Amino acid sequence: MAELHKIVARLKTALETAPAGKKKPPAQPSAVRIAPNAQRAELASTFARELEAVAGRFLGSLTPDEAVARIVEVARERNVRTVAVGEGVENDASVIAAALTSAGITVVRPAPVADPAARAAMRERIAGCGLGVAEAHYAIAATGTVAMLSGETRPNSLTLVPPASLVLVQIDRLVANLAAAVAALGPETVATQRVTLITGPSRTADIEKRIVVGVHGPKSLDVILVWPKE
Amino acid sequence: MAAPPEPRDFFEASSAGAADRELHRKLESASARHLEHFAEVRAEFSPYEDERAAARRIKEDAIARLDELLIELTKKLEARGCKVFFAATAAEARDYITAAAKQAGAKRVVKGKSMTTEEIALNPALATAGIEVIETDLGEYIVQLRNEPPSHIITPAIHLSKEDIGALFRDKFGTEYTDEPEKLTAEARARLREIFLSADLGVTGVNFAIAETGTLVVVENEGNGRMSSTLPEVFIAVMGIEKVIPKLADLPHFLEILARTATGQKLTTYTNFINGPRRHGEVDGPREMHVVILDNGRSAMLADPVMREALYCIRCGACLNVCPVYRHIGGHAYRSPYPGPIGSIVSPNLIGGATAQLPFASTLCGACKEICPVKIDIPRLLLHLRWKECARGSNAIQWPAAAERARSGARRFARLARHPRTIRLLGRLAAIALRPFSSDGWLRRMPPPLRNWTKIRDFPSPHPRKRRAVTTPGG
Repeated sequence: MAELHKIVARLKTALETAPAGKKKPPAQPSAVRIAPNAQRAELASTFARELEAVAGRFLGSLTPDEAVARIVEVARERNVRTVAVGEGVENDASVIAAALTSAGITVVRPAPVADPAARAAMRERIAGCGLGVAEAHYAIAATGTVAMLSGETRPNSLTLVPPASLVLVQIDRLVANLAAAVAALGPETVATQRVTLITGPSRTADIEKRIVVGVHGPKSLDVILVWPKE
Repeated sequence: MAAPPEPRDFFEASSAGAADRELHRKLESASARHLEHFAEVRAEFSPYEDERAAARRIKEDAIARLDELLIELTKKLEARGCKVFFAATAAEARDYITAAAKQAGAKRVVKGKSMTTEEIALNPALATAGIEVIETDLGEYIVQLRNEPPSHIITPAIHLSKEDIGALFRDKFGTEYTDEPEKLTAEARARLREIFLSADLGVTGVNFAIAETGTLVVVENEGNGRMSSTLPEVFIAVMGIEKVIPKLADLPHFLEILARTATGQKLTTYTNFINGPRRHGEVDGPREMHVVILDNGRSAMLADPVMREALYCIRCGACLNVCPVYRHIGGHAYRSPYPGPIGSIVSPNLIGGATAQLPFASTLCGACKEICPVKIDIPRLLLHLRWKECARGSNAIQWPAAAERARSGARRFARLARHPRTIRLLGRLAAIALRPFSSDGWLRRMPPPLRNWTKIRDFPSPHPRKRRAVTTPGG
């Protein structure tokens, strides 16, 4: 901390040497406003369009049962033998895991690790999966983004290391824009948990500014909006 | 200890860039594509101007109380077990990171794209300590394989064609030649995946640091920043003191403009919120996390009321894409990790040495100011730096003599311009006299003493029959 105080002292001097002009009013809350009457269906269709614009795939607004069936289908169509399934948010991940298991697919369930050996083993198992299934805490319609919170049972690597990613999100967790998502997360969550906003599969434009999908992160991102029957 | 390489003379370096027609083709096509994408995302996003104004206001506020915000950020980070180090100079930052790497027993370092680590010349320092450093951003990886520095803040390999990269991969890896970006990317992915899983130290830069929550925000598209901060046992984030913003609610204003101006995206693929080492029971995240907060000339910029504005920069690189000088000479000519208009104002402050020449490398056309998402008045800062440079009697360029020549030339011309007939006559005579030096309507190489002019610029050949519009007073 000694260095900090030295630098801060220097900054103080600098600020006093050149005081700022008249105090500007503090920044207004985001200019992006949530349309008050925006219907879920409208948000869902915006989300779908934006997700596909960034090379993601929208699997539809499905009921919980349909969602489970669709996940099994995706694992089959991608010819995946092992799937990592993270803990759900609104949906019970064990239902998904059971459906995959009965379809003959090996399921990896991330769990708290007690020691370095368990940690290394868990990481290796996740790295060996062909598909990672995770549930997002929020989704952003304007950009086709999903907001992931990480923890013991929802490791960050779930949507990072396996070559394919599938994310579900509950329809009432779909918000209009980034400012609304950040407000929904709130300072408390951001200060205590690792948050990752994901907008499409990993990509680059480093070779002649041509977009190539699938660099270090997943090569594909599928999203299901879960819409319970009311 | 490896200091940043001392740049060659800028005029010499820029002449080489200016003569490279192939380089122009690459830069022009990349810049055009970039500006096209930007225009698209800009047009469909109506609150863009509001967000821009908000971002600017937040930066003004944050920089004006940098001292308290840094204390708040540090307290929050330390409370979660991060080690925070304030580095007054590039050397202090290098030494700290090298020592931390050695202490962790690191053999292999993976790096996410970071301009600040370029600024402090971290890679050579780690290499000297016997630690292997691998750049993992595709563009950075490519230029590292070529053993050269990046030439653009956002697109490090902008100066290379896909054929160049194809040949590079063939020569380095002994694989079959291909110039398909998809195949080249897949090759890099496979090679770097192994490296990610075996690296013991990750290093990235930081885009924003939120004081309120003690969170570092790192934006990226490839997933390499995410991997570098998630997989290795030790993680070090390196940031300039100016990256701090007060509140979480301030962040969206920046994110809404950064990707749009930087890459023409609405949002980058990954926005990482990093706030400390992994907690007990967690699979991912580092065991040990360091945050290096770098001054290295920034507090001096803060103390200069004009220069302070440069600290608002969010490193989007848009000013490079619109700059006629950058597009003509390329990033390497600047001999600084920060090229282009913004580079010409920050490099003299952060890198020093021969970069004092850079403020003179501008036509002051103002395109940079117009596109800058936080509205930095770059031309004004360039003039300010020119003025400072002259005031300290620098020899960055032969300024006093050149200025005197320019001034006396202008005075002579002013006298001459009052006599329209004489000036016309002289124009005709000059046209005849200079005819032997003229080609395609341009004078590219004039005899001394005019050669000094044509060394740097072409001059249109005077035409014997063309009449100049000469305004007479009152007429």
